[in-house]
Amino acid sequence: MDVREFNVIVAGVGGQGILFTTNVIARAALKLGLNFAQSEVHGLSQRYGSIRTELRIGSGVSSPLILEGTLDLLLALEPLEGLRQAPYISERTTVVMNDHVIPPVGAYLERFPIPSFEEVLELMKGLGPKKVIVLSAYDLAKKAGDYIVANTVMLGAAQATGVLPFPEGALREALEEVSPSRYRDLNLRAFDLGREAASLPG
Amino acid sequence: MGDLLAPANTLEVLLGNEAVARGALEAGLNVAAAYPGTPSTEIGESLARVARKVGIYFEWSANEKVATELAMGAAWSGLRSLTMMKHVGFNVASDAIFTLAYAGVTGAMVIVSADDPHAHSSQNEQDNRHYGESVGLPMLEPSIPQEAKDFTKEAFELSSKYKIPFLVRTTTRISHQRGPVRLGEITAGPAKGRFVPPEPDRYLQVGSIARKHHAELLGKLREIALDVSPSFAKVEGPSDAEFGVITSGVSYAHAKEALKLVNVDAKILKLGMTFPLPEDVMGDFLSSVNTVLVVEELDPYLELRAKAVAKDRAPEVEILGKMTGHMPRVGEYTMRTVLEGLSKALGVAPPVNFAEIDRRSSEVLKKVPPRPPVLCPACPHRSTGYALRRAAGRAAFMGDIGCYALLFQKPFRVEHVTHAMGSSIGLANGIDVATDQDVVALIGDSTFFHAGIPALINAVHNKRKMTVVIMDNRITAMTGHQPHPGTEVNAVGEEAPAVDIERVVRAIGVDYVRVVDPYDHAETERAIRDALKHDGVSVVITKRECALLTVARLRKEGRRIVPYRVNPDKCTYCRVCINTFACPAFVDTGSMVEIDPTVCFGCGACVPVCPYGAFEPQEGSLNWREQKIGV
Repeated sequence: MDVREFNVIVAGVGGQGILFTTNVIARAALKLGLNFAQSEVHGLSQRYGSIRTELRIGSGVSSPLILEGTLDLLLALEPLEGLRQAPYISERTTVVMNDHVIPPVGAYLERFPIPSFEEVLELMKGLGPKKVIVLSAYDLAKKAGDYIVANTVMLGAAQATGVLPFPEGALREALEEVSPSRYRDLNLRAFDLGREAASLPG
Repeated sequence: MGDLLAPANTLEVLLGNEAVARGALEAGLNVAAAYPGTPSTEIGESLARVARKVGIYFEWSANEKVATELAMGAAWSGLRSLTMMKHVGFNVASDAIFTLAYAGVTGAMVIVSADDPHAHSSQNEQDNRHYGESVGLPMLEPSIPQEAKDFTKEAFELSSKYKIPFLVRTTTRISHQRGPVRLGEITAGPAKGRFVPPEPDRYLQVGSIARKHHAELLGKLREIALDVSPSFAKVEGPSDAEFGVITSGVSYAHAKEALKLVNVDAKILKLGMTFPLPEDVMGDFLSSVNTVLVVEELDPYLELRAKAVAKDRAPEVEILGKMTGHMPRVGEYTMRTVLEGLSKALGVAPPVNFAEIDRRSSEVLKKVPPRPPVLCPACPHRSTGYALRRAAGRAAFMGDIGCYALLFQKPFRVEHVTHAMGSSIGLANGIDVATDQDVVALIGDSTFFHAGIPALINAVHNKRKMTVVIMDNRITAMTGHQPHPGTEVNAVGEEAPAVDIERVVRAIGVDYVRVVDPYDHAETERAIRDALKHDGVSVVITKRECALLTVARLRKEGRRIVPYRVNPDKCTYCRVCINTFACPAFVDTGSMVEIDPTVCFGCGACVPVCPYGAFEPQEGSLNWREQKIGV
């Protein structure tokens, strides 16, 4: 398989499993023998600070950082954090977005207005991405068994978009491999629910 | 996380830091020690995970200097040792390292400095490449995780050969870059050495002996510059190109791709050893082109040295970089930084319309509320900050390095200062001498052990009046939960004697000491008020484990995390909770405050904050304070 360049950002708030989500995609790339570079920032703000990872897959990749306007897939585990990736979004971007807004508590203290999900969606569409898929990832995760697997729901939805440069099944296999055994079944259930939800028309 | 012990010849996904750890294991590591610090921490975490299995010794030491001295002791006993630290940690260890360069080693020793351009998780952007030259130790700089492994391994071989420690310098984007790494054979294992100085005065650095060793060191460095440094330099691109780029580290990865995008014939000199530099290789490169752009983060380190080499070897070449205003000195480089600099140097328009991207995205970004780092839900520091605000709101607050540094933010604002490890207590000494203000030092448990104790001793002996709040959350939290001398387990999970902070403080001679559960807001407030009235040094220890540890344990025990709720009949929408406590689980609906069940950990710390008692448990909710969970 030849992939020149496929750029992914996973964005959300600390605690949503952003690193794990990205690691699953990277693992799939490794299993397929693809070159990749993944960039992440660790440290402060493990919970509910703004967090993003960048993953670049392909033979043409050397920098671990994505150039503005060249994003192929955005997984927005939190909608405001998705919108914060605006400089990277262009007509080549497919957006998979969770519909649950987590307001930054500091914004209340600064009296900064917090956009509703509908407003976020409108702004997102205004950036002209190729496609936006919206998901109630927390509802689906709860259906799978626990809020904490909302990230895996999103991963399933990402698979359903068909834009990832992987053959069918590769991502799910990687998820199975990377999941701690305690969460494996839960993760796979969540993945399948996300995939089904994103496959539905409309 | 990658499998650090995956078999040789397989390809594994490794974080740059994991790759460094693997490189050390492949090089026959015996002993490693470190103090955690972003972005270096995962090197130690990786080794801690496998230490017992492989048979190596690993510890989280009290601070970087102790870690370095431990690793020196091992290397002076003939073993192979490693220590690693963040850029500012190197400052702490540097007193030992400067003289270590004269002393050398009998085994082998590698010191990793992980720098943080952009200060993602640091108090400054210092460029530790300068340490290579000023200390006088060779420095290798990898560009990708594969090189992070390979260079670390080679650093050990070279250290063993030249009998001096080698430095490996990474930056955040190498340390925290994950990529495919082809593995080699692990040769690390347990070993006992013997401390026998190779010459009687080898490890005695005084006057005439130090001068002799200094000269010897300079001789080795000249040899390394000629025999080793060139082999770490790579020239790529068409040999007849008239434009060149000199680069190293992650900047190489950006530059390589940016050059393809601007589509010009150019060649790259990639330097893998940035001290000592391969001056002949640089001279040849500089004399083969008309113009050179130096692409490097932070200081114009390579740029200055390229100019020095060019003076004799290529006086005609034009050298562009930070000193000519083509590249920025502040912050880390991105693809965009490099593309813009490159376009400017070539006198062409950037291949991407950044102005258009900025215009389009700035309209949107204006509407996205900022989300700075916050204290986690259930964080005990939030409760301490709440009590401090109420009890000592007018004091001068000296903060320190840890998650609690976030208490500088609204609504707490009980940190006027964050500076360096342990500085809170040292600074409080100075503020008390210079003013009549109440002064409060805030310091975490791990930071107290690291560098807080000497300053507290100083305060007691010199009759200072100050209040020290030690926020003891039972772990080194900010870097991801590493044990420290106050915890009951050590780095590799064995039981260990916990050094008791209260007893340390009392032994120093502090006569006002209170230990409180910060979730008990009333008691914490009282303890702080009384402490401020005390004529002398007073210490309040707010003791409650990091909430993430509590949550992890509850989950492991199979206990449900049931969030609290707001009783809509009781909430008057006074917003006192948001304006004084600011838990990230609070949601302002415009007519009341709610709790986001996906965010709340169900700790119950917010209950006493509401004047109307609107925060209520749901069926199955715990109350961590009443049920003594996490204390």
